[in-house]
Order: sequence, then structure tokens, then C-alpha cells
Amino acid sequence: MEHDPQKDEFKRDLLIYFSIIALTGLIVTLSHLHKVWGMFLIVPIACTEAGILAFFFMHLMTKKKTIHLVLLLTLIVFLTLLFWPAWDVAYSPRTPSEFTHF
Amino acid sequence: MSSHPHLHDSDLVPYKVIPREDTGLYNAKFGIWLFLASEIMLFGSLFSAYILLRVGSFSWPVQSEFLNVPIGAINSVILLSSSIFFIRAWVALKADDIVKYKKFMWLVISFAILFLCFKSVEYYQHFSHHEYPKSSVFLALYFLLTGLHALHIIGGIAVNIYYAGPGMYLRKENKQWFINRVEVAGLYWHFVDLVWIFLFTTLYLL
Repeated sequence: MEHDPQKDEFKRDLLIYFSIIALTGLIVTLSHLHKVWGMFLIVPIACTEAGILAFFFMHLMTKKKTIHLVLLLTLIVFLTLLFWPAWDVAYSPRTPSEFTHF
Repeated sequence: MSSHPHLHDSDLVPYKVIPREDTGLYNAKFGIWLFLASEIMLFGSLFSAYILLRVGSFSWPVQSEFLNVPIGAINSVILLSSSIFFIRAWVALKADDIVKYKKFMWLVISFAILFLCFKSVEYYQHFSHHEYPKSSVFLALYFLLTGLHALHIIGGIAVNIYYAGPGMYLRKENKQWFINRVEVAGLYWHFVDLVWIFLFTTLYLL
């Protein structure tokens, strides 16, 4: 019996599609439960969804080092920009401000 | 006369179709990844602003009470469906099935417009309750993030309409080049979907 690579690819894409939908349903459910442990799971699950989408739909599972290098540099710069001010906010004295009040 | 075996005299820009030896990518693919890296910085900076403002605030609203989580979830499914339709369109294009390609591309466009319709309904609900960007820090961030994302959707719709419609003439000029262009547009579209996953999680669920 011959394997049709197109059909195999289509089945794989469908599997990925329903996996991401299922994970979306899971994080919505966790959000509705209002449990502390649930809140800590939501972000990692969302990152997993994004990772699955990036790896398969955006072909990040490619062996092209150029793409990985571009994204790695971006990630390093982004994390630096994120955590440098966060460190500053965490260790600076807080003052009431209309910009920090809801 | 060009000495390169794959270049014609009319090809002033090389590597439009064949990949470069050093990067292993053709020009447009390398370009789109650089562009997506800049987009990661754009949305990343806004997400980090959100995180810092939320962490630094004395009080923060229960976001799910302000936002319509069912509509957000439906929008997630819509955008993900449009992503998979795009993949099917690209596969059909590579297989020279133009009818299927056009069908799936117009499905992508229709689902994107449907996403914007649901987004408009959400915005209308907010405005009818007098919830504007100036009302609070949270709403300002919500409208900024989702508004910027919606603008990206609109841009993607314009590109997809071009490649599903008038841009089809490019295929007659150079088939592989057109396939590459559609692939690159697809990468952008999947990125927009990826951003929505984080937007939905951060704004609607946390």
C-alpha cells in the first residue's frame, strides 16, 4: 500500500490543529476554575500552543540555523528589555501614582 | 550575459527562488524572518509594558469581568482555522491545483474578516458601556494591544486578497517565485495567529 505524503501531511496538520484547540479549551477551563495552581499552568500551556504552531506551521523544525539565530538574538534582546526594568521595579521604592491605580 | 547557471539577464536580484548558499534561504524568507523578529520586539515591548504596569499597580481589575471570554475563545478558533486553511492553500498551490488554492485562500480571508467582525462586536460592547481607552490603564492596554493586532490582521487580509486575486498574474511570470511569496505571506499570517494566542491568554484569562 503506497503512502501518500500529502495525505500524511494533511492528517498531521489536522492533529496539530485539534491539539491547539484542545489546549485552548484547557486554558479557558483552568481560567474559569479560579484556582491558584491553575493560573500557574495557563502561561506554560499557552507557550506550548505557540510552540506547536511555530514548530509545525511556521516550519521552525527546519534545520536552517539562520532562522534559529535570528530568533535567538531576538529572544535575548526581548528578555533583557523585559527583565531589566522588572528588576528595577521590584527593587525600587513604590510611590502612589495615578498611573498605577486601576 | 550572466555567467551564473541559474540566472537570466533579466534577474537583477539573485536568490529570489533558489536559496543562498550561506543562509540556506531565499531572499524573501530571510527577509520575512527578520521582519517577524522586529514584530516580536514590537509586541514584546507592549507585553512587557503590560506586565510592568500590572505588577507595579496597587490594584488591577478582574479582566475576565471586563472582557468577553467566549468571544475571545471563538476568535482563537477562527484564527487558528484560517491558519490551517492557509497551509492547505499553499499545499494546493505547490501541487498546481489553482482552484483549491483560491478556495482555501478565500476561506482564509473570510475567516479573518469574521475575526474582525467579532472584534468589532466586542469593541461596540465596550463603547456602549462607556469603556474607553482613557477609562483605565487596563483598558488602555487592552485597546492598544488588540487594536494593533487588528491592524495586522487588516494588513494580512490585504496581502491575501492580492495573492488570491489580482496578484495571480505573478504566477505566470515565475511559478516558484509566486509559491515562495505565498509561503512568506503564510509565515506572517501564522505569526499573527501566534500573537493572538498570547493576547487571549494575557488579557482574557489571567
